[in-house]
Amino acid sequence: MVSFWKLRQSPNFRFAMLTLPGALFLLIFLVLPLISILIFSFWRTESYQLIADWNIENYKTILGQKTYLTFMWRSLVMAVSVSLVCLIYAYPVAYLVAKRGGRYRLILVLLTAAPFFTGIILRVTAMQQILGPIGLLNMALQTFGFEPIQILMYSNVASAIGLVYLWIPFMVLAIYLSLLNFNFELLEVAYVNGAKPWRAFLEITWPLNWIGTAIGIVLVFIPTFAAFVTPRFLGGVNGALYGNILEHQFGATGTWALGSAMGVVLFFICLIFIMIIWRTINLQRSGYTGEEF
Amino acid sequence: MSAALPHHLTSLQLRDIAMTEPALKLEQVEKSFDKVRAVDKVSLEVNTGEFFSLLGPSGSGKTTLLRIIAGLETPGNGTVHIGGRDVTRLPPYARGIGMVFQDFLLFPHKIVADNIIFPLKMQRLPEDKQKEQLNWILSLVRMEGYEDRYPHQLSGGQKQRVALARGLVSRPDILLLDEPLANLDLELRKEMEVEMRRFQAELDIPFIYVTHNQEEALTLSSRMAVMHNGKFEQVGAKLDLYNNPKTRFVAAFLGSPNYIQGQIKRMEGTIAILDWRGLDLRIPAPANATSGDKIDYFLKHERILIQSLRESEPAKGENRFEGTLRDIIFKGQHSAYFVVLENGEELVVNAATEMPSLKIRHAVEVGWLPEAGDAFLKEED
Repeated sequence: MVSFWKLRQSPNFRFAMLTLPGALFLLIFLVLPLISILIFSFWRTESYQLIADWNIENYKTILGQKTYLTFMWRSLVMAVSVSLVCLIYAYPVAYLVAKRGGRYRLILVLLTAAPFFTGIILRVTAMQQILGPIGLLNMALQTFGFEPIQILMYSNVASAIGLVYLWIPFMVLAIYLSLLNFNFELLEVAYVNGAKPWRAFLEITWPLNWIGTAIGIVLVFIPTFAAFVTPRFLGGVNGALYGNILEHQFGATGTWALGSAMGVVLFFICLIFIMIIWRTINLQRSGYTGEEF
Repeated sequence: MSAALPHHLTSLQLRDIAMTEPALKLEQVEKSFDKVRAVDKVSLEVNTGEFFSLLGPSGSGKTTLLRIIAGLETPGNGTVHIGGRDVTRLPPYARGIGMVFQDFLLFPHKIVADNIIFPLKMQRLPEDKQKEQLNWILSLVRMEGYEDRYPHQLSGGQKQRVALARGLVSRPDILLLDEPLANLDLELRKEMEVEMRRFQAELDIPFIYVTHNQEEALTLSSRMAVMHNGKFEQVGAKLDLYNNPKTRFVAAFLGSPNYIQGQIKRMEGTIAILDWRGLDLRIPAPANATSGDKIDYFLKHERILIQSLRESEPAKGENRFEGTLRDIIFKGQHSAYFVVLENGEELVVNAATEMPSLKIRHAVEVGWLPEAGDAFLKEED
């Protein structure tokens, strides 16, 4: 018993015990599936059967055929533009709530997450009801004798609108949480020292809240890059993205090995994106003092 | 002058001197928050080269007034002129002021050099000029060699020096300081008090210094205003305020004096005889006072003579009382003597520490001339 007591005092043991549940969870639900996907991606599918015949044909297909690269490019453009639109829209919202929300700011932030009260399919369908050919918007236009807006019907623009709508709460939340810890008095210092409001924003607010903003961008970029439900409902026949093709491999065509390889590629693209964002974060330049965390 | 001034700024300074306008002029400035008058019809002129303190307890409106001068608050009424220019409606960034804040408020993501040149960068000064100014101010505040540090790598005193450097680097028309020493420990505060007087004297920029600490205000400033409930109680040279308080509040506030309450028994010309819980006390009669009036009399600790019994004869008209020495608190060069008088009232006396004839629990004598204290008619609260 004495030795067990001593063991409990050991910092290494305590660290191990504290991290064990989380580590186990990650191992079972993240690392193992990832490894299996990685293994499958070097196999081959034949008649809906996975065959352990090691090869790199799947990667040759994805990285060599123009079709796959096109879809990858489309998804990338989609992810970048959706992240950008979310950012431009979410920053003022988060700023206003953090600065002027007063005692209502928690409720205001939770309200931006109100769409989460329902499922994703329902939300995307709701968007379809608004943007589609027989949707609210175009029906109304037609009723009053106008032409329907073609670009909103089953197009990548429609998908983008839907994706912005889906992921904007993440961006608002990430920026809002960052601004909560931001000392707005620093802006007064900037003003007194001759900075106009926009200059103060660029010099002070933006760099000091870049970590939160970067987290928001990552949280929007990754699900957008992998999106398949939204483009299927809102994008129509010509609106398919990388995610749709990927999903296709596990469904209709049953080419699991190719699908796995597509998943691995997706994983690495996201990883590279996170690395790029991470490189922009300099803790000291973000005002990290080494005390607060 | 320890450091050479860059030429173009010297000429700016010459322009300022050439102008006869006061560096700062406030006229009937008012500001209310909801229904509370934070600043109530304040007028003030501060000249180039002055070290002016705004002294007041918290909630007296001094910080609000400073923020109005800075442009961080808009006055409800009245005008603000800086260097002869009406800036009442101008935003803070167009006012050409410097400001030092209570929590230093350095930009945590910028190194010392970038913090200091921030105002110059905003003015789009050429980079070589920025560099020149930076080196000049770094030597003035004695922070050479710290250019590349981040604020969190500095001590409190160093942060304060950087904050002052940032406020002064562009040689503003006026420097506003909001309790800049409140977050420093005593030793550092004393050191920075000396330094700030030096900066002010060398640069000849008017300093407007807000503080609730009267010692700071009395040490640093040439002139000062005591503020209370949004109004100026008294404005003037610091010694004048200390020696001749014009209002009851100033008398009670400056020097934290002994507070004596009583009722006038009779008048003897300019002297009133006060009934102080059974003792007859001679005080200078306040204007319009008659017998029966209730009086507040404030007597500063250092204006009381303390000695052993019958060590000297009282001067003509002097108040002289016997009492018991209850305690002595050693404060260095001087000590505080607590004397309980026959009427049960206690007086605090500040006197030299070396007084071997005075022993605790022994009888002592205290004495002072009526004019040593300041008498006011009691205000009905």
